[in-house]
Amino acid sequence: MTTHFSRTGRLTGLALRRDRFKILIWILVLAGLMVGVAYKFTDIFGTQHEIAAIKDTLKSPAMVALLGAFKFTNNPSTAQIFSTEMVVFMAIAQIIMNIMLGIHATRGEEDQGITELVRSRAVGQLAPLSAAALELVIVNAIIAVIYGAGLGLSGMHGITTAGNWAVGIGLATVSLVFGLLGLVAAQLADHSASATGLTYGLFGLAYIVRMITDVQDPDYTWWSPLGWVEKISPYYHLNWLPIVLSLVTAIILFVLAASINLRRDLNAGALATRPGRRTASSFLRGPASLLWRREHNVIIGWIIGIAVLGMTYGSIYNTVGDMLKTNPTMQQVFGANVLHEANHAMLVNFTSTLVVLMAAVAAIPGIQLVYKLYSDETNGWLESLYARPLSRTRLFFSYVITGLLSSLVTFVGAISSLIFVGNATLDHPKDGLTMFEFWQSVWGQLPAILVFIGIAATIIGWWPRIRSLNWLYLGLGFITIYMGGMLKLPKWAQHLSPLGWMNKVPTHDVEWTNFSWMLALSVALILLGWWGYRRRDLHMS
Amino acid sequence: MTNEPVLQINHLQKKFGHFEALKNITFDVHAGEVFGFIGPNGAGKSTTIRVLLGLIRATDGNATIFGQDVWSNSVAIHRRLAYVPGDVYLWPNLTGGEIIDLLLKMNDTQHSSRTDELIKQFGLDPTKKARTYSKGNRQKVALIAAFSQDADFYIFDEPTSGLDPLNERQFQMAVLNLKQQGKAVLLSSHILSEVERMCDRIAIIREGTIIETGSLAEMRHLTRTVINVTLKTPLDLTQLAGVHNVEAGQHPNEWQFSVEAKSLPAVMAALTEHHIMALQSTPPTLEDLFMHYYTTEKE
Repeated sequence: MTTHFSRTGRLTGLALRRDRFKILIWILVLAGLMVGVAYKFTDIFGTQHEIAAIKDTLKSPAMVALLGAFKFTNNPSTAQIFSTEMVVFMAIAQIIMNIMLGIHATRGEEDQGITELVRSRAVGQLAPLSAAALELVIVNAIIAVIYGAGLGLSGMHGITTAGNWAVGIGLATVSLVFGLLGLVAAQLADHSASATGLTYGLFGLAYIVRMITDVQDPDYTWWSPLGWVEKISPYYHLNWLPIVLSLVTAIILFVLAASINLRRDLNAGALATRPGRRTASSFLRGPASLLWRREHNVIIGWIIGIAVLGMTYGSIYNTVGDMLKTNPTMQQVFGANVLHEANHAMLVNFTSTLVVLMAAVAAIPGIQLVYKLYSDETNGWLESLYARPLSRTRLFFSYVITGLLSSLVTFVGAISSLIFVGNATLDHPKDGLTMFEFWQSVWGQLPAILVFIGIAATIIGWWPRIRSLNWLYLGLGFITIYMGGMLKLPKWAQHLSPLGWMNKVPTHDVEWTNFSWMLALSVALILLGWWGYRRRDLHMS
Repeated sequence: MTNEPVLQINHLQKKFGHFEALKNITFDVHAGEVFGFIGPNGAGKSTTIRVLLGLIRATDGNATIFGQDVWSNSVAIHRRLAYVPGDVYLWPNLTGGEIIDLLLKMNDTQHSSRTDELIKQFGLDPTKKARTYSKGNRQKVALIAAFSQDADFYIFDEPTSGLDPLNERQFQMAVLNLKQQGKAVLLSSHILSEVERMCDRIAIIREGTIIETGSLAEMRHLTRTVINVTLKTPLDLTQLAGVHNVEAGQHPNEWQFSVEAKSLPAVMAALTEHHIMALQSTPPTLEDLFMHYYTTEKE
C-alpha cells in the first residue's frame, strides 16, 4: 500500500515549484483583499449609525441572494457585517483557485504526457494525485494562516481570535472540497477541458442551491457545500461543525479519486470515449468551424450555465420586489402607486448589480477563445494549419469573432433570462422591468465586454506572455464595482476598469457618447492585435 | 519557367534576440528532385523550414517558393505546397479521419479514393480520437493528408522518426512516386540511409550554416575511400601521399587504409607495381561524410 505513495513528497515540492508564481499571485490577491478590507472596515462601518444603515440592506432578499443569509445580533458589530459581506465572495474566489490548480496538476499534466514520464520512474501510482491534493492542502493552509493572523492584526471592531481562525480555516476546508471535487473529475474525464467543465458545473449547482435556499429557507443551505461557509457564523454563534463536515467530505472525495485512479489506465478517463467519425462532416471546413467543432461544448456550457444563473436570480424577483415584506405598513401610509414604484425601483437596483456581474462573467468565454489562438499556437496545432493556404488575418478573426459572438450570446442570454424570468414570477407584473430597461441593461455593459476582448486581442498580437494581467484586470475591475458600494470605495477606483466607465444600468440611462468611444476603442484594440499578430513570429513547441 | 528553381534560399539569417539560429543558409530545390536536408539536432533544420512556411520571419536574406516571397505571399504559396511537421500535434478531440478531411478541405481538395488507399496502406484507424494516437499514428495522419494532396512542392521534416520499417517503406515509395511526377521534395532527416537512398542532392547544415551542398557522388570526392588490399610484395604504405590510418591485416602484406580522393590515381599506380592479389574499396557512406564534417571540423 505504501508503495502507491512513494515519492509523493518530492512530487509535491515539484508541484509547488511549478506553480509558484500562480500560487503567489493568488495568495497576494486573496490575502490583500481579505486583510486589506478588514483593515479599512472599521472606518467604513464603525459607528452604530453606519451599521444600522447597512444592516437592513443586508437583510433584503436581493443581498441575501448575492451574499448569503447570515444571522447577526440586533446591534451587529463591524466584524459581523464584515463576515456577511465577504465570506461567500471570498470563498468563490478561493474555490476557483483550487479548481484551477487541482485540475492543472492532475489531468493537465497527464494531457501533456508529463505524468507518463513521471510514472515511468520509481513513483507510486497514487503519488501524482496525492501530490496534487497535498499541494492544495498546503496552499489553502497558507491562506488560512494569513487570514487568521491578518484578521487578528486588522484591529477591526468585534473580532474574536476563534472567529478569525474559523474564517481562515473554514474558507480553506470548504475550498479544498471543491479542489478535490476537481481531482475526482480529473479521474472521470479524459482531458482537462471536460474535467474543468464538469467541476464548474457542479460548483455552479452548489452556488444555485445556496442562493435559492438562502432566499427561501436558510436551514436548507446545509445541502450546498458552498453554504457551509455561511454556517460557520464566525463572529456571532461560532460553529465548527461546517469545518468538520468539509474536512470529512474532502477526505471522502480524495479516497474516491484515489480508488478511481487505481482502477483506470493512464491517459484514459474512467468514462470511456466512443470511436468517432471516419470522415469529416461537410460543416467542418475552415478554422472557424474547426474552433466550433472543438469548443462548442464549452461555449454552449457557458451560455446555458450563465442563463441558468440569470434565471435563478430572476426567480427571486417576486421576493426582492416586495417592499411589504420588509415594511408591512407602507401601503397604508403611502398608497398602492407609491408602493409599486418603490417595488419597481428595488428591482431595477437589484438588476443593475447583476448586470455588472453578468457582464464580467460573460467576458470570460470571449477572452478564453481569443487566448486559445495562443495556446493552440504553443501546442503546435496551428503548424499544420499554417502550412495550408490560410492567412494569419483569417485565423485571427476566426478566433476573435467566435470569442465576441460567444460573449455576446452569453451576455444577452443571461440578461434575458434574468429579466424575463424575473418578470414572469411577479405577483404584480406592473412592478417588473420594461423592454426599454432591458435594452438599457444590454447596451450599458456590452461595450465593457468588447473592450476586455479587445485587450485580449492586443495581448495575443503583441505580448502573449502577459495574458494573465487581463484576467487580473477583469477580476479587480469586477470587485471594485461589485463591492464598491459596500466597501465605500472612492469613485476613481470604481472607474478603473471598463465595467465602471459607463453609468450603472438600468438605474441610469446609457451614455451614448461613452458607448461610442468604448466601441471605437475595442475596434482599435482588435485591429492593433491583428496588426501585431501578422508581424510576429509564431512560437512552436 | 522549367529552369527556375521551386525553392530558392539566399543568405538566410534568423536571430532570436542575440542568438543566431540561422547564420547563412543558401540552397535551391528544383522540380523533379528530392533534396535532402541533413544536420544534427539544433543545427537549424526546423527553423529554416518554419521560415519557409512563413511562421517566423527571416532577419536577413531572402527565400522564395515558386518565385514568391515566403513571408508576404505565404497563402498563395501554400495552395501548392504540402508539409509534414517533425512533431505532429493534432487536435485531441477530433478523429484522425476528420483531421485528414479538414486539412484537405483547407487546400480545396476533397477526400478521394487516393486518400482511402493511403489510409489502408499506412494502416491507420481513422475513427479514433487523435488523443489516443501514438507518435507514429499522428505522423501517418499528416503524411496521408500530404500525399493525398496534389501539390507541387512537398516539405517533410523528419517524417519517419516514429514510423515502423513497413510504413517507412510506404513513405519512401510515395516520395519516389512524387519525384517521377516531377514534383519537388525537401526532405529533412537524420536517418542517413534514407537520405542516401532517396535524395538526388543534399545540403548539410551545421550551427545555422550550410557547409556543403551537392550530390552524394560530388561529396564523396571531399572525403576518403577506404581500401583493403593484399599485395604480393611488401610496400610501406605510410610513405605514400594522401594515405591515412594504415593498419596491417591478418595476412602478410594485407593492408587497410583510407585514401584522399585526389591521391587515388597515384596510390593505385603504386599498388599495381606490387601486384595486387585482392582489393576491396568501400566508398564513404553518408554517415562517414556526416561524421567527417561533425567530428573533424568541430574544433
